[in-house]
This record gives sequence, structure tokens and C-alpha cells, in this order.
Amino acid sequence: MSFNTTSLKTMPFNRKQAALKMIQKGVLAMLPLNLAVLPWGILCGSLSIQRGFTVLEAILMPMLVFAGAVQLVVIELINDNTPLATILFTALIISSRHFLYGLALRDKLKNLPFRWRGSLGFLLTDELFALSGDKNAYQGKLKLIYALSAGGSFYLCWLVWNIIGIVAGSYLPDLTSIGLDFAIAVTFIALVIPSITNLAMLVTVVVAGFLSVLFKLFNWELGLVLASLIAMYCGYITANRQAATIAKRNKEII
Amino acid sequence: MTLLTIILLACITFASRYLFLHPKLPIRIGAKTTHFLSFSAPAVLTAIWVPIIFIQENSFNASLTNPYLLAATVAIITAYKSHSVYLTLGTSLTVFVLLRLAQI
Repeated sequence: MSFNTTSLKTMPFNRKQAALKMIQKGVLAMLPLNLAVLPWGILCGSLSIQRGFTVLEAILMPMLVFAGAVQLVVIELINDNTPLATILFTALIISSRHFLYGLALRDKLKNLPFRWRGSLGFLLTDELFALSGDKNAYQGKLKLIYALSAGGSFYLCWLVWNIIGIVAGSYLPDLTSIGLDFAIAVTFIALVIPSITNLAMLVTVVVAGFLSVLFKLFNWELGLVLASLIAMYCGYITANRQAATIAKRNKEII
Repeated sequence: MTLLTIILLACITFASRYLFLHPKLPIRIGAKTTHFLSFSAPAVLTAIWVPIIFIQENSFNASLTNPYLLAATVAIITAYKSHSVYLTLGTSLTVFVLLRLAQI
């Protein structure tokens, strides 16, 4: 009996502690990515001011749109007085890779209450998806707290980096061409390379790399998604072929 | 006008992220599709980082004097050997900055 009461009393405390631990873990896991987008965020903020956005508009971009690539491209388009339909279509094409992320995580998230689905959906950037590869990701409340704090910390940092750019915007030189994008590239390298543990993954990465460069040289906004889809298919085929070969060999042995 | 554009853009980015998380959407993902989608993270992330390394100012640059390429090579080796995000960021960013300084 006494054992029961103590366990009941300590239970919420432990749960709270576990949740706090998960928040800490989520923030720590996202930290390198948070830092890697610092130059990128400053660039987005300062560019919007330099291209004639008001401070409110410049803040609403990271706050509501919350997508680096879309922000950068759209700022230039708005500045060039591009028709609204073209701007929206371009944004849709650039965002289309997120459809893949939603699909990949659908079975894990679709049955959750809206507060989880909606908030994690809003936070589902390239960076959060990059941390979602674990088989047990999003399984159970603690993993959800982990994801929410990782994604949430990324949102806050993105907002702060943009605001720094907005404040410093008029004092900064045009930052578009001094190699700030390398930090992003290197973070993704650090996340992708260790995940290449078999031939199928290697094929995926090589095909994605080759085709994305090719399509980018054509200046094709849809190239990113197309290169990814073809690369995924190549990886998928490779894995199936390998499985078939192994199955055949086993049969021959028997 | 810009304000309206921003709100519409926010709808687009949110919709692209949220759409397939919505339970009422009439699609079922089978085992094959799940397997196919398991390649999405390395595929998309690679399709983002490789062009940054090889394309600068709209032209292809695979020369050995391309600081992006050299620093990325350092990053790939470090990531492969150490599996550490921090070590990879540390070594390759140092190499990148030094190379850029040497260029100027």
C-alpha cells in the first residue's frame, strides 16, 4: 500500500522530469541546425528590408511563411512586381518537397489530435524532417515533445535570426553573394553521410546529387522534387533487386 | 498588397507541410510506398546540398580551386569517419573560411 502511494506521488514528478529531459534533448539535437541557418536567416531579414519591405512585412515573412527558400525567392519576385499568381505558383513549386515529408510521416501523425498534427505540421521544415528519420520518431508523447521542442527551437531561432537581419538590414552590404549558403550544405552533409549504410542509400544519394545539379543548371524550380523522386525510385529498385538476389541465393542453397 | 501576398504564401507553405498529415485525406500508404518514402530524407537533403557545392552564380564549378568543393570533401570525410555533426561543422567551416580568406 505504501509503495502504491509513493509511486503515485512521484509519478507526475517523474513524468514532468522526463518531459523536461525530452525538451532539452530536442533543443540540443536541433542546435547545430539552428546555428547553421543563422547567416541564412540574417540574409532573409536584411534582404527584405533592402528590397523595400516594411518592418511588419519583413517580420511576418519568417513568422508566418517560415520557409527560407520561399522567402528568398519571393522577396526578389515581389520587388520585381511579379504578378501574384506567378509568385504563389513559384512558392508552391519550391514548397512541393514538403508534400513528401507529410507523406513519409503520415502514418505516424495522422491519428494524433489536431494540436499535435497542426503544430508539428507547421514546424515541418527540411531541418525537422532531417531529424525525423528514426524508426521510433513521433511514437509516444515523449517523442512528440522531443520533436515539438526541436521544431519549436528552430522556429524561434529562425525568427530571431531574421529580426537581426531586419534590424541590421540597412547597415549590411548586399549579402546574397558571399558564400553564406555553405553552412546549410555542410549541416545536411553531416546528417546525410552517416545514413548511407547500404547500397540502396548510396544509389539514392548519388542519383539525387547528380540530377539536382543537372536540373539546377537548367534553372528549373521543379528540379529539386523531380531529382528527389527519381533518386528515391532508384534506391527503392536497388533495395528490391538486392532482396530478390538474396532470396534467390537462399533458395538455391536450400 | 504585400501583406495579402504574405498571408497567401503562409497558407501555401502550411498547406504543403500539413496536407498529408490530415486524417480525412482519402489515401492509404501501403508497405511498398512506405519503403519508397524511406528514401525521401537522404534524397531531398542531398538534392538541396549538392547544387550549393557545385553551382555558384548559375555556373557549374568543379575545379579544385572551388572552396565549396574542397570544404565539402573535408565535411564528407569527417562525417563518414566521426558521425558527429559538430565535428563536421567545425572542421569544414574552418577550412571553408580559410580558403575564402586565401582567395581574397
